Amino acid sequence: MKNIIEVKNLTKKYKNLKAIDDLSFEVREGEILGLLGPNGSGKSTTINCILSLLNYSGGEIKIFGKKMNVDSYDIKRDIGVVFQDVAVFEELTVYDNIEYFCGLYIKEKDVRKKYIEEAIELVGLKDFIKFYPKQLSGGLLRRLNIACGIAHKPKIIFLDEPTVAVDPQSRNNILDGIKVLRENGATIVYTTHYMEEVEILCDRVIILDKGKIIASGTTDELKKLANIEEKVSVEVMDLDPKYIKEIENRKHVEEVVYQSPVLMITYRKGKNNLVELMEYLKEQKINYSRIFSERPTLNDVFLELTGKELRD
Amino acid sequence: MFTHNFKYTLKILFKNKMLIFWTFAFPIILGTFFQMAFSDIEKNEKLDIIDIAIVNNQEFKDNTIYRESFKALSDKESENRLFSIQYVTEEKAQNLLSDDKIIGYFLLKDDNPKVVVGTSDINQTILKFVVEEISSKLEIMRNVANLKIEEEKKNMPLGDMGNYNSLYASVYGQVMEMSKENNTNIKNISSNHLSYTMIEFYTLIAMACLYSGILSMFAMNQSLANMTTTGKRMAVSPTSKGKIILSSVLASYLTSLIGIFLLFLYTIFVLHVDYGNQILYIILLAFAGSLAGLSLGVVTSCCFKVSDNTKTGIIISITMLGCFLSGMMGITMKYIVDKNIPIVNKLNPANMITDGFYSLYYYDTLDRFFFNFFSLLVFATILIVISIFYLRRQKYDSI
Repeated sequence: MKNIIEVKNLTKKYKNLKAIDDLSFEVREGEILGLLGPNGSGKSTTINCILSLLNYSGGEIKIFGKKMNVDSYDIKRDIGVVFQDVAVFEELTVYDNIEYFCGLYIKEKDVRKKYIEEAIELVGLKDFIKFYPKQLSGGLLRRLNIACGIAHKPKIIFLDEPTVAVDPQSRNNILDGIKVLRENGATIVYTTHYMEEVEILCDRVIILDKGKIIASGTTDELKKLANIEEKVSVEVMDLDPKYIKEIENRKHVEEVVYQSPVLMITYRKGKNNLVELMEYLKEQKINYSRIFSERPTLNDVFLELTGKELRD
Repeated sequence: MFTHNFKYTLKILFKNKMLIFWTFAFPIILGTFFQMAFSDIEKNEKLDIIDIAIVNNQEFKDNTIYRESFKALSDKESENRLFSIQYVTEEKAQNLLSDDKIIGYFLLKDDNPKVVVGTSDINQTILKFVVEEISSKLEIMRNVANLKIEEEKKNMPLGDMGNYNSLYASVYGQVMEMSKENNTNIKNISSNHLSYTMIEFYTLIAMACLYSGILSMFAMNQSLANMTTTGKRMAVSPTSKGKIILSSVLASYLTSLIGIFLLFLYTIFVLHVDYGNQILYIILLAFAGSLAGLSLGVVTSCCFKVSDNTKTGIIISITMLGCFLSGMMGITMKYIVDKNIPIVNKLNPANMITDGFYSLYYYDTLDRFFFNFFSLLVFATILIVISIFYLRRQKYDSI
């Protein structure tokens, strides 16, 4: 797959603060690249620099092999952007909003009409085309925001936290829509601080913190960086501290935390940790109500690399 | 893309209730209140002949322009009669003024025209404007005479300069004679038109013109990436910033002109306001006034990074202050400002508009009208140049 976006040594300073610090990465054709990081990590700033909305202090940005500038209208024609804040006109209906923004890209009325109908279908706003934005719920408004950004069928789509403050139904609708866009051939750059979305959607992930790339790769590759195998949670009432000591000394155990009634055991290695733990509990005649195992998440990776949670 | 953005900007502006209120409804409501408040005064206010005195010193007697102008304006046979004049000594004039027998007197001393009035009201203002008009005319005559003398001097043989004095007297006399034929441009048109409310309506139109700034500010804000999210979306589109801004501003200009047109229709046909017969000049001035308002909105949008509401507040405050100083709450204010801090009203776009209408109404010549018309264009040009300087920046440091 060829690189569609190339970012080399991108640096953006606000006075003495480096919002983006020597960032280099590329986006491959047809993939969904996730930019994951906590608030203030530089995700939106990176996108704004790529789109030539913001000045940057250093580095180079190429899209479709050409240098991206403010007046690169031939490049902009193939880019769609869904901003974090809803960008629609309160005075226009759902249909008119999509028509207006699509009209900035597509001149031919017939083509435009067809594209608008497809966009409305994709985000599920067919029953709301005559509604004004203030008549829509938060989730529907987000869907309209997406439709305005993608109606012109761009080759590259930047989605900047499109599911913030969205109800579960709208979130699923949005995520399904993004999958369809990728199936239709679009390359997608997706920023979020929801790791679950990244795991569902993204082919590759770049984890950002304080404007720097701290890790990148597929979700499986990244999880290996977490240096843990699994986490087992057990619900036990009034556990004697001597058992906690014994569990700590068992094979592969990295850490044991007991906050009644949840006992959380982190294993660094091992294949049958859950079964072995269940046998131990049975031997010691410790009654438990619920037990389950979790694979490491991207949050664990972030925790491992930065010492803090993704949502801090 | 230009037409597309123009069409949708019009749609957005017309669907914004706040904008429509300020630019369409508010001037109409205010106009209705003016009419209600002043209609009784209107009925009784046919301008009376104004009692004044003139200090009949030798200098006045020798000054053809002043003498003939006042003579014409006090001619009992003339329908343009404005003044009833008593020719007296300075002392007598002071006595007449203190006894309220006259509203003021005119004194010409050391080539310096002086108007002495008791209080400030419409009659005193008229006297002041009449003297201003005659003075400016006198100045023009002198300049014409001097130019003519210089021309004659060039043709005169070197040895013949002794006749310079007789040449001066001859040319000056000719020019003064010419001036008698059309000795003043000032007419009493009160029997047909004059009313206090006219000034209020002029300032009302000035206000409506300047409120176009609210429209252009709003339209501009929607197009700038550092102001609104819709602006960000437009900035990443393949349509150029110049095209978007120009079409948005033109749409707001058209909206503003429609608003002013409706205001004219309402005041003429519902409130029965008579704007006189210079309708083309009135429309021309409304175009220029609206352009000045538009530029005010554009510059406010570019230069202040504050909320839409704050920007609207800035434009409304500037407009209302300008209208107040140009006589919206009473013509006395205009007179006070003109007299004490004339630079304020020279820079005040509301006054340029009001004064432009005023001059159409009160003067036969268009000099003052065009002075105000071009002042508005200069005002608009300066603000637009400042805005272009700000708008040239294509990328932002932060958004």
